[in-house]
Amino acid sequence: MKTPSSGVKAPVQPVRDSALRDRQIAMLRRSFPAIFLVILVVVFTSMSQRFLSLDNLSTVLEQGTVLLVASLGASFIIMAGSIDISVGSIVAVSALTAALTADTLGAFAIVPAVLIGALCGCLNGLLVAVGKVPSFVATLGTQVVFRGLVLYFTKGAPVEISNDSFLNAYSSISFGIPHTVMIGLALAVVAWSIFKFTVFGREVLAIGGGERVSILTGIAVTRVKIKMFVLLGALCGMAGLLQGARTMAATSQLGIGLELDVIASVVVGGTPLTGGLGSITNTCLGVLIVTLLSNGMNMAGVDPYLQNIIKGVVLITAVYINIDRKKIGVIK
Amino acid sequence: MLVASGLNKRFGPTIASSNISITLRAGTVHAIVGENGAGKSTLLRMLGGAFRPDSGKMTLDDAAYAPQSTFDATHKGVALVHQEITINRSLSVAENIFIGDLRRYAGSFGVMKRKQMAKEAQESLDRIGVKISVKANIDRLNLGELKCIEIARAISSNPTTILLDESTAYLDHREVDAVLRVMQELKSKGITIGFVSHHLSEVLAVADDLTILKDGQFVGSYLAAGIEANEIHRLMVGRDVKQGIYPPHALLPASAAAPALRVTKAAVGRELNDISLQVGHGEILGIAGLKGAGAEALFSGIVGDEPLRDGDLQLDGKDYHPTNPRAAWQNGIAHLPGDRGNEGLIVSFSVLDNLVMARPPAVGPFFSMSRARAISKDLIKLIGIRTSSPDSPCQSLSGGNMQKVVLGKCLAVGPGLLLLNNPTRGVDVGAREEIYRIMRQKTSEGLAILLSSEDMPELIGMADRLVVLRRGEIAHEFASLENVEEHSIVQYMI
Repeated sequence: MKTPSSGVKAPVQPVRDSALRDRQIAMLRRSFPAIFLVILVVVFTSMSQRFLSLDNLSTVLEQGTVLLVASLGASFIIMAGSIDISVGSIVAVSALTAALTADTLGAFAIVPAVLIGALCGCLNGLLVAVGKVPSFVATLGTQVVFRGLVLYFTKGAPVEISNDSFLNAYSSISFGIPHTVMIGLALAVVAWSIFKFTVFGREVLAIGGGERVSILTGIAVTRVKIKMFVLLGALCGMAGLLQGARTMAATSQLGIGLELDVIASVVVGGTPLTGGLGSITNTCLGVLIVTLLSNGMNMAGVDPYLQNIIKGVVLITAVYINIDRKKIGVIK
Repeated sequence: MLVASGLNKRFGPTIASSNISITLRAGTVHAIVGENGAGKSTLLRMLGGAFRPDSGKMTLDDAAYAPQSTFDATHKGVALVHQEITINRSLSVAENIFIGDLRRYAGSFGVMKRKQMAKEAQESLDRIGVKISVKANIDRLNLGELKCIEIARAISSNPTTILLDESTAYLDHREVDAVLRVMQELKSKGITIGFVSHHLSEVLAVADDLTILKDGQFVGSYLAAGIEANEIHRLMVGRDVKQGIYPPHALLPASAAAPALRVTKAAVGRELNDISLQVGHGEILGIAGLKGAGAEALFSGIVGDEPLRDGDLQLDGKDYHPTNPRAAWQNGIAHLPGDRGNEGLIVSFSVLDNLVMARPPAVGPFFSMSRARAISKDLIKLIGIRTSSPDSPCQSLSGGNMQKVVLGKCLAVGPGLLLLNNPTRGVDVGAREEIYRIMRQKTSEGLAILLSSEDMPELIGMADRLVVLRRGEIAHEFASLENVEEHSIVQYMI
């Protein structure tokens, strides 16, 4: 923090300069996910002509929808300073529910799928908020339980989805846009509105900023926590339904490892795991970055065995530049 | 002798220190006083190597002194004790004392030489004249004792100068006395002491010299014997405070006030055994007592943070069973906790966010930003919160203004009963006056206030009645505080 020329110049000038620089750095940091996204697009475009085609864009959005829908819910959890690693398993349970009910209910299989997801989330919420089990441990346990349920009911065999009305509703294309993408974007707008405009959204952020303060200020912390886990569960239910529709089957392997991509998306978007900061737009950018990274490397023909290494390095670099460590203080 | 001249330091746009000079004469106690944000801690930290000044010169015993870090300063003989208690409760007393230099006691294979360390730790404690055993369980020690351990830690490096930043800020009377005794003990050993304090009574009790700062500027250095408390106040605040900082209030007969809260034979946790009291609308009931005497437990019980073990509460004549803090707020009980940073407000959030946190203005499930803006604008004006904008983060405010935000959060819900736990702890004189003014204004509008404080003049100046707690019971009740002296309250506390 040395300003060698400060003795020569007029004393007021450097003060303004440094304040301006601080503001500029803060702004740069805030817009970093967007900048990073642009860099990714430029790099991959130069490596593959097909990358920037409309066709591929549509593919990216379709690939990213399941991740997006799950990440929308996870944003609330992470902004409140909790974590949920049972995401992938809830997606699998819901996809199975959709597959089992699609034949009789058709498109209305969305109801049981989302309900089951919400129920799984509710269980997580009760464990964390009422049982006071730390969210990492609680959802580590339910992750195994939910996955186990899927294995138990399917005995490992995939359940096919062939109902026309179901597939028409969730995996066909209208006006050139896949239905999954439409649903994903609509849910993003809903989640954004919930976060931005409701009291619930503010309460989530307050819990992340200071749970003890929130309790003593009369925020219904228990209720808010249960609600946010239910919200995530319901969104995972949607994600499971869309995934099932895309692959036309529910498998016991579905959604394995999804929670890691979800957490990566939220964090790369600039939301720290400590909570109290963040936004849904950040998460959307994060999802795009994570999805584009995989898609771009495939398009550019990067050795598949190398891809995971690059992915990890890029994610860590992004977070390293992205997060204002001074504001967070303790990193755990 | 530690001499500094022309020290400048700024943080971003804030000028924390502007051309400040100070001389710590060898073997004396030098107090640095000023309002919050005056630059006291900044000055002390520059002297102690925690901050490097942007410009200016320092000499230590006539040799150039430009510490690069606190470690470097310690090495040169200047030890800094921070305001916050930095004791690690997972370590032993001895380990805490030598925390910066544990390697010194590494024996073969890195095994710790515990006996030698304990012995030398005990020597450090004995040297500052405190009766703490290195074998003591650290969880059983009070804050004053922990502060003494920190001073022992500082002294273990054999410094010639020791700098204490607000060492007494979070301590109660007994603990403060212990720290002041340690300071005198150090002085008698020829050690130079520089310290920062909010409490003029402490300053005048131990200081030889004092330096007054205001808004990052040097006001003057004085011999403590040659200046009076009123004069110091005036120089700190920049105007006359002779009329006293407590607003006048009409004496109201206790019987006239309609009861707001009636506590009958309440028992909470381990601290509070059997308490009955009552506070009326328009009345401030003061609560005095040492830490652990029951005031905190009483508040926890009333707001439902801890369950009542026994007893009954009545709110405006109706039975009231607190189940959680949320229920308390909904029943019109607002609560200002003692720990501002961890319990009072979320410092990374904006002033507005904190002000409307207890009852966010809403239309259905939707937050109404326009109403929130109007509410916070009114509160900022009413309480005189000094902030550049309602959207500024609270961490950019001074301690006094942060506390005003917490008070604003309480008042935003239009409470019938307000619980204040040390509302002016670590708050400068200017902000205090404003807090007192608001308290009076609101009681005249019918608010009932329970004021728990370790600041005796504040209790005497503000309370209409006073109960003194001792070991979870009421030791004495003052029906009026006309002509009551500090010592007559203190005698019931111990």
